[in-house]
Amino acid sequence: MNEATTPTAAATILEAESISKVFQVRGGERFGRKQAVTVLDNISLSVQRGESFGLVGESGCGKSTLARCLLRLLDLSAGRVLFDGVDLNTLDRDALRALRRRMQFVFQDPFASLDPRMSAAAIVEEPLLIHELGDQQERRAAALEMLADVGLTAEQARRRPHAFSGGQRQRIGIARAFVLRPEVVILDEPISALDVSVQAQVLNLLGSLQEQLGLTYVFISHDLAVAEYFCDRVAVLYLGQVMEIAPRAELFARPLHPYSVSLLSAVPVPLAGGRARRANRPQPIGEVGSVVERPPGCPFEPRCPVGRGREICRGERPPLKRHAEGHFAACHFPGEMTVHRAGGTRE
Amino acid sequence: MQLDELALAVRNLSTVYDTGDETVQAVRDVSFDLRPTERLGVVGESGSGKSALALSILGLIEAPGRVVGGEIRLAGRDISKLTDRELGAIRGKEIALVLQDPSSALDPVKTIGSQIVEAIAVHEPELRRSAARKRAADLLREVDISQADRRLDDYPHQYSGGMRQRVAIAIAIANNPRVLIADEPTTALDVTTQAQVLALLDRLVEEHRTAVILITHNLGIVSDFCDSVAVMYAGRFVETSGVDHIFLAPTHPYSEALLKCVPNPERLADGPLPAITGFPPDLARLPGGCSFAPRCPVGRDIAQCHSETPSSHHVIGPAGTAAVECHFAEQRISGHTP
Repeated sequence: MNEATTPTAAATILEAESISKVFQVRGGERFGRKQAVTVLDNISLSVQRGESFGLVGESGCGKSTLARCLLRLLDLSAGRVLFDGVDLNTLDRDALRALRRRMQFVFQDPFASLDPRMSAAAIVEEPLLIHELGDQQERRAAALEMLADVGLTAEQARRRPHAFSGGQRQRIGIARAFVLRPEVVILDEPISALDVSVQAQVLNLLGSLQEQLGLTYVFISHDLAVAEYFCDRVAVLYLGQVMEIAPRAELFARPLHPYSVSLLSAVPVPLAGGRARRANRPQPIGEVGSVVERPPGCPFEPRCPVGRGREICRGERPPLKRHAEGHFAACHFPGEMTVHRAGGTRE
Repeated sequence: MQLDELALAVRNLSTVYDTGDETVQAVRDVSFDLRPTERLGVVGESGSGKSALALSILGLIEAPGRVVGGEIRLAGRDISKLTDRELGAIRGKEIALVLQDPSSALDPVKTIGSQIVEAIAVHEPELRRSAARKRAADLLREVDISQADRRLDDYPHQYSGGMRQRVAIAIAIANNPRVLIADEPTTALDVTTQAQVLALLDRLVEEHRTAVILITHNLGIVSDFCDSVAVMYAGRFVETSGVDHIFLAPTHPYSEALLKCVPNPERLADGPLPAITGFPPDLARLPGGCSFAPRCPVGRDIAQCHSETPSSHHVIGPAGTAAVECHFAEQRISGHTP
């Protein structure tokens, strides 16, 4: 393993440096003509060892693409990703495959991501087989142990995915990702396909596994309440750009970017008096913008209650600036809009 | 309120799915009233029977399911015994449905405009095409689609998810129904789009006096939109109350557990979320007594809960009255354990 020399380097396990991702898509109605669409635009962030780092934003903001780029499941168009100090771009296939053991992915849909013909035990065993770890007996034992850790019995391990509920399938998905003892796990909306009561069980499981195994999580969520509950730091994305990054308590108590404020105050909370709360809420204007017609200035400007129509917001893209310890925002008028929320916030 | 002043009155509605081997009791003896402009939230987990309830009211239960009993009065008229043809004349006109996935309600190969025109024409065959098209454009404007005249000629795939859901609502409200049943209408949408859809439903209630049944698993949305709420478990309404009651004094242990297991900014205590243990019961093999007893933190070890089905207890809490199907409702609301 690569021994890091400085304390900061030791703390950072995953780092994105100015990464961009451009897709070639067919433009509009005209068949055949291709158009370059920038889905991630110059994103920089770092994930610390042992933390839960949240990526939040609405659909189309690029959070899932970013997660895939972080593990080089997708190639970058520009920039680089360092995993434990190693530039993923410089690795050949074998080296990348070896490194993949240390970084795993849990997908949203536990129905689509499990092979219906395999037993739970075989599904969890498969990554060990791919990475040629242990002999057959050791692999089976490791798979059963991992399944036990996520709360499934040896008897259940023999069953195929269709015999399980959604929550149990997601447990199998988690066991499959964790059986390799990875250091970083990307959780892409791991609970949003589940029932509320089961969501709590799976969140609790992820929390205790993180503690047990000292894991680092990148947690993708469109549900801000869940991100607030689960994450240590959160990055807010909009149209492929970072709008704000801050420690959890800081972001939820003092969001600086109007987009973060709009997003936070739009979350319906299960407390009395929601009707009155909703009436006083600032509303973002119109529809989520499109990466195809990205405005030259701030991507949120056309919808922004603060900056809409302001010349600087329209013409000049605001840089991501530091405003407090660990708190960065990309806005020409940070903090001008304040948040309306129910309840307190954990500091 | 007299029965015929109510927008909807449901009495003892029961629906089963008979597969030959077993009988799944999806809706069990459910009764409730809905006033004009009332917004009732129905919450529960998947398999609690909330969608079956919606389909039963609309007469859309398909074999092997069937409604086995009860009365459904729409503005005083019992619609539970009507023929399919008679129901067809009411559905979409006096009572309408919006589903979670707007794509399933829209035909991908027809323009948005022609689909709205069709929805209008079904109930007003004498209306001229051009007049119907004008109404369709008005409806699109009503659901905040800009450049409505031009966008009538678009196909569903040219609209975003939020816009498609608003079109589905436009079709549902095309004939000013008395009752709109919305089954998880915002679940597939982003939070900011969700807010737009709720604002649209607000306007519908205020301007057309429509009553809304909002089916959801999201208690936050219930607080944001509804005036009353029914918590559904194993095919029954286990707690029915004004909306604030459920947040201030959830009385049924299931309501309380459901509320506690979602993160919210007031309860961000460190440590695990209080998850509900176990699974919802198999509706073909319901346990005796209270259906929640096997998972209930209060009644798990109490013999009465496993043997005796609780009747509806009327209690008064800090935010008004509630009907609660729990043997210990009175004790719980007065702050005494269990």
